[in-house]
Amino acid sequence: MIPLVFYVLLASAMFAIGLYGLLTQRNGIKLMMCIEILLNSAIINLVAFSAYLPNVNGQVFALFAIAIAAAEAAIGFAIMIALYRVHGTIELDKINALRW
Amino acid sequence: MYQDYAYLIVGLPVLAFVLTIFLGWRLPKGGGFLTVLATFAGFILSFQIFREIYPNNEIVHQSMHWFASFNVGILIDPLAIVMLLMVTFVCTLIHTYALGYMEGDPGMARYFAEASLFTAAMLGLVFSDNLLQLFIFWELVGLCSYLLIGFWYRKPSAASAAKKAFLVTRVGDVMFLAGIVILYTNMVKLNLVLPEGAYLLQFQTIYDSLALIPPDQLTWIALLLFGGAVGKSGQFPLHVWLPDAMEGPTTVSAMIHAATMVTAGVYLVARMFPLFYAAPDALMVVAYIGAFTALFAATMGLVMFDIKRVLAYSTVSQLGYMMAGLGFGAAVGATAVGVSMFHLIGHSFFKALLFLCAGSVIHAVATNDMREMGGVLRSMKWTGLTMLAGSLALAGFPLTTGFFSKDEIIILAFESGAFGFGWIPYLFVILAALLTAIYTFRLWFLTFDGEPRSDYHKHESPWIMLGPLVVLAVFALFMGMPSQGAFYDYVGNNFDHFGVDFEELAYIGGHHVDHPYVQKPLIFWLLPIIAGVGGLIIAALFYSRWKRFDPSMITSEKDPIRKILLKAYYQHEIYTLWFAEKVVYGLALVSNMIDLKIIDGAVNKISAVLVGVGGTLRKLQTGVIQNYITAIVLGLAVLLILIQLATMEVAI
Repeated sequence: MIPLVFYVLLASAMFAIGLYGLLTQRNGIKLMMCIEILLNSAIINLVAFSAYLPNVNGQVFALFAIAIAAAEAAIGFAIMIALYRVHGTIELDKINALRW
Repeated sequence: MYQDYAYLIVGLPVLAFVLTIFLGWRLPKGGGFLTVLATFAGFILSFQIFREIYPNNEIVHQSMHWFASFNVGILIDPLAIVMLLMVTFVCTLIHTYALGYMEGDPGMARYFAEASLFTAAMLGLVFSDNLLQLFIFWELVGLCSYLLIGFWYRKPSAASAAKKAFLVTRVGDVMFLAGIVILYTNMVKLNLVLPEGAYLLQFQTIYDSLALIPPDQLTWIALLLFGGAVGKSGQFPLHVWLPDAMEGPTTVSAMIHAATMVTAGVYLVARMFPLFYAAPDALMVVAYIGAFTALFAATMGLVMFDIKRVLAYSTVSQLGYMMAGLGFGAAVGATAVGVSMFHLIGHSFFKALLFLCAGSVIHAVATNDMREMGGVLRSMKWTGLTMLAGSLALAGFPLTTGFFSKDEIIILAFESGAFGFGWIPYLFVILAALLTAIYTFRLWFLTFDGEPRSDYHKHESPWIMLGPLVVLAVFALFMGMPSQGAFYDYVGNNFDHFGVDFEELAYIGGHHVDHPYVQKPLIFWLLPIIAGVGGLIIAALFYSRWKRFDPSMITSEKDPIRKILLKAYYQHEIYTLWFAEKVVYGLALVSNMIDLKIIDGAVNKISAVLVGVGGTLRKLQTGVIQNYITAIVLGLAVLLILIQLATMEVAI
């Protein structure tokens, strides 16, 4: 059996990658992908601990999280398309109509 | 039993006010008959109360708690009952006359509503049992005066006259209020233990505690209260509003600015007479200002051509007589109140009569200018003859009401001089008596005698207007003789009902009452008669059909004295153009500067600093999500590290 620490390391690595992307990227789509990576790293943690604890609650939560992440992605992409139609770009630092 | 319904004396006119203001426009004649009925009912009620209390020399006093240490109450003593009778009687006649005079005016309902309110307020002022309530009604009559002077508010001169009257009397009212406040604080300081049902500002309480208040405070209080009276009663130097107030309908001039409201100041001084008596310096100020006003206004009455203006200056002058009469009380004691009030009552009859006659003439002739009248007697017999009666009374022709009332004041002036209070007031009042006779008959001859000087409308007024004139004329001629003695007794002893000890008050004031009897020379008894009759003859020689001299013989257009008088001593120039527009405007500019630069400046500076700081801090909100996330992550990291360190230290 793969030791728990490997899963935690994988999840940490994914979290770090996602966070890095989130902080450095300006493209809306890329940001959404980074958020997905962050979310999935959390889900991996949930499933891993669930399997080692013998408790299925974590896996149930994982399924819920995936379902809600799908809904979130759908709304997010819809916003991006709408933004693109109005501004002709999804570079978020270009969209500053309401800024001082 | 009628005295239980005393509140109705004010209640009925208030009811008439409410009815006419809301329903008057639907009623015939603007609901004026309601006003007449309410006032007449007030007269009947006052008369019945008078008949109840006069035989046993009682007073009526009812009071109820209002709030804190104040009450509302009704006090009907001799001083108040004579005023109540006079106000209700004269107002009834004037309202009746107004039914004819205001006929066809689109604002008739408004006129009668405001007239009812005025009547109610005036009656409330008269029978107040405490100074605060009196002040409230005092302000209310001032408001009604403002409303009625500006009755024809579309006329700019009427609107500005109303404003002037309101503002000038306000100067006096502020002094009055200050006097009340100082009196109240002094009374509070005494820590009086009041009997059940007594309140601090009740007249009874004030009279009782006069001996305990420091005399210098008393002088200030008396002077401030007199300041209020100066404003309301048109005494020098606050008399300027009264001639301008003639812009209102003539009935208003007769009711408010001759017979009733302007006497409120005299009534106030009479009501507070014990206080003034304990402060003889203030009383001397009253005497000098009154006597000076009597002469000063009479000189201006001599040259005016507007019939109502002559009467207005005459009113100012006669009010001066009343004030002076009260002032002479310093020498002769409380009898002065009786004498002065007698002149007040008599004056309100004949001055209301004169104004109503003038109104009748103006109604027919449609001008105020006496130069365009002349010979009016031919078409208006009744008006002319009743006005002659009023003129005789005003001039103090022997055996008319004015003769008995005014001459008594001149006698007081003489006694006051003989007791060492100065002869100047005597000089003023005797000269003013001569001038009064001259200007009164100049008015009468110019209007009613001679040939018509313009093509005016010749017709007599309707009987609804003439009726009141006849009644008033009878009173102006014949009231004086039978009632004089009884009146002096009744009103002069008013303060006995309150247990006022005038000798004690005189002691506080530092003067004594019992002077030796002064031998009065024969010429002294004759002088007032000579002044009255002599004035008549002089006026006749200059202005009537028996004319021997022409006014141009002693004066001309270029005569500087005449110019000064016609310009009313340049008061308009001094008060309005110099004082209001230069001094007050300059002060206003300076205050405006202070307000803009210092007060507003400070506020603006503080807000500018805050706006600047906010503008800088606002830049933190970049609107770039990455910046926020960075902040969140860094913050979380720092927090986690700190927690870690903390737990480690605990472990160590």
